[in-house]
Amino acid sequence: MILRVLSTCLALLCALAVTGTAQAQQGPLRIEITEGVIEPLPFAVPSFQPESGDAGQLAVDLARVVSEDLVGSGLFREIPASAFISTVSDFNAPVQYADWKAINAQALITGAVSVSGNSLNVKFRLYDVFSGAELGSGLQFSGTVDGWRRMAHKVADAVYSRITGEGGYFDSRVVYVSETGPKENRQKRLAVMDYDGANVRYLTDSSSIVLAPRFSPSGDRILYTSYESGFPRIYVLDIGSVQRRVLESADGTMSFAPRFSPSGNTVVYSLTQGGNTDIYTMDIGTGQSTRLTNTPAIETAPSYSPDGSRIVFESDRSGSQQLYVMSASGGEAQRISFGEGRYGTPVWSPRGDLVAFTKQNKGRFHIGVMRLDGSEERLLTASFLDEGPTWAPNGRVIMFARETQGAGGSSSLYSVDISGRNLKPVRTQEGGSDPSWSPLQN
Amino acid sequence: MHTGHYISGAGHLGLIAFMLFGRVFTPDPEPFEMQEVSVLSAAEFDALVAASQSPQQASEVEQPVAPAPPTPIPEVAATPDSAIQQPPPIQSETPPPDPTPQVAEQTPPPAADVSDTAPESPEPPAEVAVLVPEVAPVAVPRPVERVAPEAVAQPDPEARPDVVEQQATTPDAPAETVVEEAQVATAPEEATTEIVTEAAETPKAAPNQSPRPPARRPTPPAPQVAEPVEVPTPTPPTPTPTPTQPAVDTDAVAAALAEALGTPDTPAATAPAGPTGPPLTSGEKESLRLAVSACWNVGSLSSEALRTTVVVSVAMNQDGTPQTNTITMTSSSGGSQAAAGQAFEAARRAIIRCGSRGYQLPLDKFGQWQNIEMTFNPERMRIK
Repeated sequence: MILRVLSTCLALLCALAVTGTAQAQQGPLRIEITEGVIEPLPFAVPSFQPESGDAGQLAVDLARVVSEDLVGSGLFREIPASAFISTVSDFNAPVQYADWKAINAQALITGAVSVSGNSLNVKFRLYDVFSGAELGSGLQFSGTVDGWRRMAHKVADAVYSRITGEGGYFDSRVVYVSETGPKENRQKRLAVMDYDGANVRYLTDSSSIVLAPRFSPSGDRILYTSYESGFPRIYVLDIGSVQRRVLESADGTMSFAPRFSPSGNTVVYSLTQGGNTDIYTMDIGTGQSTRLTNTPAIETAPSYSPDGSRIVFESDRSGSQQLYVMSASGGEAQRISFGEGRYGTPVWSPRGDLVAFTKQNKGRFHIGVMRLDGSEERLLTASFLDEGPTWAPNGRVIMFARETQGAGGSSSLYSVDISGRNLKPVRTQEGGSDPSWSPLQN
Repeated sequence: MHTGHYISGAGHLGLIAFMLFGRVFTPDPEPFEMQEVSVLSAAEFDALVAASQSPQQASEVEQPVAPAPPTPIPEVAATPDSAIQQPPPIQSETPPPDPTPQVAEQTPPPAADVSDTAPESPEPPAEVAVLVPEVAPVAVPRPVERVAPEAVAQPDPEARPDVVEQQATTPDAPAETVVEEAQVATAPEEATTEIVTEAAETPKAAPNQSPRPPARRPTPPAPQVAEPVEVPTPTPPTPTPTPTQPAVDTDAVAAALAEALGTPDTPAATAPAGPTGPPLTSGEKESLRLAVSACWNVGSLSSEALRTTVVVSVAMNQDGTPQTNTITMTSSSGGSQAAAGQAFEAARRAIIRCGSRGYQLPLDKFGQWQNIEMTFNPERMRIK
């Protein structure tokens, strides 16, 4: 009897095992992909279609700026028009996906332009060629003819955002110190330009030294330091009206290194008084100042976190120049940099996850990034002198100033991806330093 | 009794006699060279000797003709050169002295917030004896546009990566011998295994500190750009409705045909419901994994998408191509829904792109790979 029961159980177990094996085999084949490639995504952007008689040149120029934006990001690669198999002759015509697949275009951008008087209308569509479908819905922008570059930047921002999943940064501006003349007699003045170096406008003359301009969170005001009075003073400049006013500070003091809080109502800056430099905040509306640090060390270059709750700054309180983080209301600071060399000019990322900094070590200057706990430090550049990083609005790109060696050396602006790729100069008419990136324009 | 001795003695004597008289120890004759000679008669020998002697009479060589006397040089009456008439110098009025430039009063530049001490120059490294390494230094990779699992050297200058990928032709089945021009495959694009930043380059001298201070007209109104408006998606042309056919019960017809032909209801051409053939070998799976990896481009993904793992399922055709409309995201982890969407788009592009010519999968095991579930985990790509 027992043997019969045991044999029955064994038979059942065998049957279950066979069934289980069969079910396992009926499942899909499973593989895991952990290695891929990192390379620019190839795209095609045929000239936009002019839908009015006088829009022909604008259609060509718009497509060119869109392409330059995307290629300049380092994440995309344009397929030359000479490789196109088919053309886009009508904005609403169906896309011949096979023709674009054949030239390995993974994204296709089509657009149309119409002009009526001074108003300009631009519309575009983005296609995922290999999926054979439109990526998102088509968009249409309306504006003035003289703002055609901004509209091209907006199209590029939309394409960038849809493919990468991140916000764009092409429709933004940069304020910087324009530098001309020889090194021993360099003329400096504030200038503002599009992120790609176009539409440069000067905000001050070169009668006095100007330093460290910083955009407000809304992009309508600029903080900067000027030696107009003989001592460094902080000024607030309204870009629209070009009206400016000085942030009052006591006589015999020097105030510098200002930066807006995320709300735009408070300024954090450094104040030197009696040979000691500490960090202060000031309410722009009331002029009320508050001291945040009180040590005999030099503490400067403060920068707010995106939520305004903390401040990162540089200090030599430990004997060498290092980075520290403290509450926005002051208090005990925590050191975050522990590597070799000296760290300075920290800037909090718009995403809040990284801090960009300038590092000097072993005779070279670097622009680098690290996490807020000091981990994952990554040096992105190396040269005779790199300094003054500023973040793009999407937190993916960093712009900084690079100065070349020698008596004839000059300073110019560069940008680099936070991965360390796509290091390239920014086109400016003259030399430049101290860049500050604006938020995306409305 | 002594028979054995006799036999042994006779044998030894025979052996000794063979060694003495059988030329066992006689060396082989020295090799000699054979040369062919010819026999000369005395008359021929005398003729040869006479020809080798110097000639007793020398023939005269014509002397060169003396050159004719030179033609007398005609006398030329030498007359002194006349002096060149120089024009009298033009007297110009003395220019008035330059006005004394008015120099504006120089105002000293404002005091800068910098110290008077010059920036410290980097101290040159002390001269020390350095042992020459016995091995060559490790080559530092240079930054390139593509990062891939396997590094690819820079292609030959004459071979450039083409936009359209081309494959070298391979000969088909042996047929008539036709001499064809050799085709060269598109040069593989240069790649490194990890991102190389500028910081990895050879150091150069730089100042110890920044020479800059510690911190550091009317504009036209900004061009107006209105809020974007969605463009309606073009609708494909509506197909012309075909004339309505009389309704036919196709199922009934098929059933009647099957009954008449004696075949089962299920068509034989349909794919097998269960797995067929043995499971895929690890090599076959690895081949598929590498094929998809080659097209999985994460370069344009956001940081959040690079932290998102997506599981994608796809149904395959028997020729190894994916059925694009079946590619779906089964699950995701590590990121937001938007980030998962971006990661899925990159995964879908990879499956379609590298599967456009069909993955190399064994047809006899189609049932095993008819449905594939791929997990795209970018963790290792994030740290490159």
